[in-house]
Amino acid sequence: MIECPSCGRKHRPGTLFCSECGVYLPTGGPLRTEPLPEEELPISRANPWASETIEEPVEAPPIPLRIRVKSTDRQIQLPSTSEVHIGRLDAAHGIFPDLDLGPDGGLEGGVSRHHCKIHQRGSAYLVEDVGSANGTFLNGQRLTPYLPHVLKDGDELQLGHIKLEVIIQE
Amino acid sequence: MSLDAERNYYAILGVSQSATDEEIKRAYRALARRYHPDTRTEATSTTLFHEIQAAYAVLSDPNRRRAYDRRRAESGQSEEPTLDWRILQSQSQLCSQYEEQVLYLLIEIRPATSASGKRLPLNLCLVIDRSTSMQGARLEHVKRAAHEIIAELHDEDTLAVVTFNDRADVVLPSQRASNRIHARAKVASIFASGGTEILRGLQVGLAEIEKYHDRQVTSHLILLTDGQTYGDEENCLAEARLAGSRRIGITAMGIGEDWNDALLDEIAAQSGGVSAYIASPGQVRSLLQQRVRGLGSTFAQDLTLDVHCAEGVQVENVFRTSPHLERLSLANGAISLGSLEIDTPLTVVMELSVTQKPPGEHELLRIELTGDVPALGRRGEKLYHTIHCPFIPHEAPPKPVPPAILSALSKVTIYRMQEKAWDSLDSGDIKTATHRLEMIATRLFDLGETQLARAAMLEAGRISRSGTATAKGRKELKYGTRSLNLASWRESYD
Repeated sequence: MIECPSCGRKHRPGTLFCSECGVYLPTGGPLRTEPLPEEELPISRANPWASETIEEPVEAPPIPLRIRVKSTDRQIQLPSTSEVHIGRLDAAHGIFPDLDLGPDGGLEGGVSRHHCKIHQRGSAYLVEDVGSANGTFLNGQRLTPYLPHVLKDGDELQLGHIKLEVIIQE
Repeated sequence: MSLDAERNYYAILGVSQSATDEEIKRAYRALARRYHPDTRTEATSTTLFHEIQAAYAVLSDPNRRRAYDRRRAESGQSEEPTLDWRILQSQSQLCSQYEEQVLYLLIEIRPATSASGKRLPLNLCLVIDRSTSMQGARLEHVKRAAHEIIAELHDEDTLAVVTFNDRADVVLPSQRASNRIHARAKVASIFASGGTEILRGLQVGLAEIEKYHDRQVTSHLILLTDGQTYGDEENCLAEARLAGSRRIGITAMGIGEDWNDALLDEIAAQSGGVSAYIASPGQVRSLLQQRVRGLGSTFAQDLTLDVHCAEGVQVENVFRTSPHLERLSLANGAISLGSLEIDTPLTVVMELSVTQKPPGEHELLRIELTGDVPALGRRGEKLYHTIHCPFIPHEAPPKPVPPAILSALSKVTIYRMQEKAWDSLDSGDIKTATHRLEMIATRLFDLGETQLARAAMLEAGRISRSGTATAKGRKELKYGTRSLNLASWRESYD
């Protein structure tokens, strides 16, 4: 039996929501993204104007983008929607990112529920921090929230403590 | 062995034409075991066994299967599927240590991409309560809404308007919607007086619908009322059941606070329709319009899900979560799902309990979807699926649950909490009812549903003081938690 961390009611294994208090049992309810100590995160910042140098969109079929979580070696093929949200799933609040870093230690790693998003412009991929608590880093440089930056094959993205490798290959 | 296009190999194996190789292999193995000549003595089973083998020989070979499909298509026997579904499980493997565990299934049904039917004519009847309490804004808004519906209906649609108080009157006998001026004049003449007897209104309305009812139309009755009917509840339900069996749906809309929600919900459920709460008269128009548009885009009707559980597997709860959240009932192994609209998928969530099983692969249940697609002239369309699940001897590392399941379940959870709160109130357990409503308020605040959360807090306070809830709060919470749109809240959190 599993016990609801909020009200203590017992449930059969596999149950996802507490029938008494409505808490999402695997994580035990609303957990905030705690700010990480500043000294643990890279300090250099990306040039906010770098986002202006995007070439005109080329009408080429987009090359599929994959993300590899470095700590767990999990590889994810991102869905071919125009916008992909990356963050931490919080079912109790109805937050379902396209890529959930919860299983990769996202909560302890300081990943926000809405952390960043990747979108396509022509054949290019752009990453944009969406006001996360602990920041999105591209190759060790902190991105200014809401300013998109171009992603290249082999780039390292860091969300809080969680490091991701960008793979743009056929 | 020749490719015989006349023989339906898919039917022999009991799989759909869109079955995957894996499904075909499983179906073959199960049948082969059952009909193997070594295990049976009857002569028929030997012939059947040969047929099964012949079917499998063709369908298991991709090249031969393609050739067979092509021949069937040429000889006009092939059937492009009209319905499509996707089935998700909350866990891909179960642990054999647990005495009993829970597994959720999500079934999402939509029209097959290749299928696009023509719009079916609507055969509509508005049954309007004109009791004294409807006087003023309520009736005026209903009349205005009716005018808008008349303007929007297509010429081939049929419309009837029936009013009721202590008796029922046919204001507009069922007729083609093309004579709009006449219809509008008739609606304008409705005035309020008298009491509320829903049964008579239903009976007369259904009789009007029958005039144009056949398989080539979408027949639907829309009941608008603001009051209680006394003593005829059972008969109303019997009428609704009968309508449902004749494939006539009923939408029941309650205006204000004084109507009997349990009755209207049940009328809707019995006929495969929906029920709705109209808090203020101003909402009548948009709700009614939305409903009529939905009815006009009906793709499939009379959808039924047959469920055959393996031993130790039980369906505990079934909810439809799209397009309207509704508790569904499983009767004699079948769940009636109502109809499918062209643009909105129909989603069903099932909660299963599974008892302990030894490690290895086990069949959990078989589901079969049946429905009519009148727009394409097809009846008795079928989809099959068997759900197998491996049981492993140790606890599986947690895997992400498909977000579609979580999103559907989080809606269902709040709705059920609300059901339970009223249950404890009705059984006189004031303390539990209050506590439950407070829990709901907390969850609703979390979701950013402040207005609904306040309603829950108010009712909790009222119950703890006086032991009763207000009809308004009760309806607001019941219908409010039913139409929560969680996706719209994703922007408000980091």
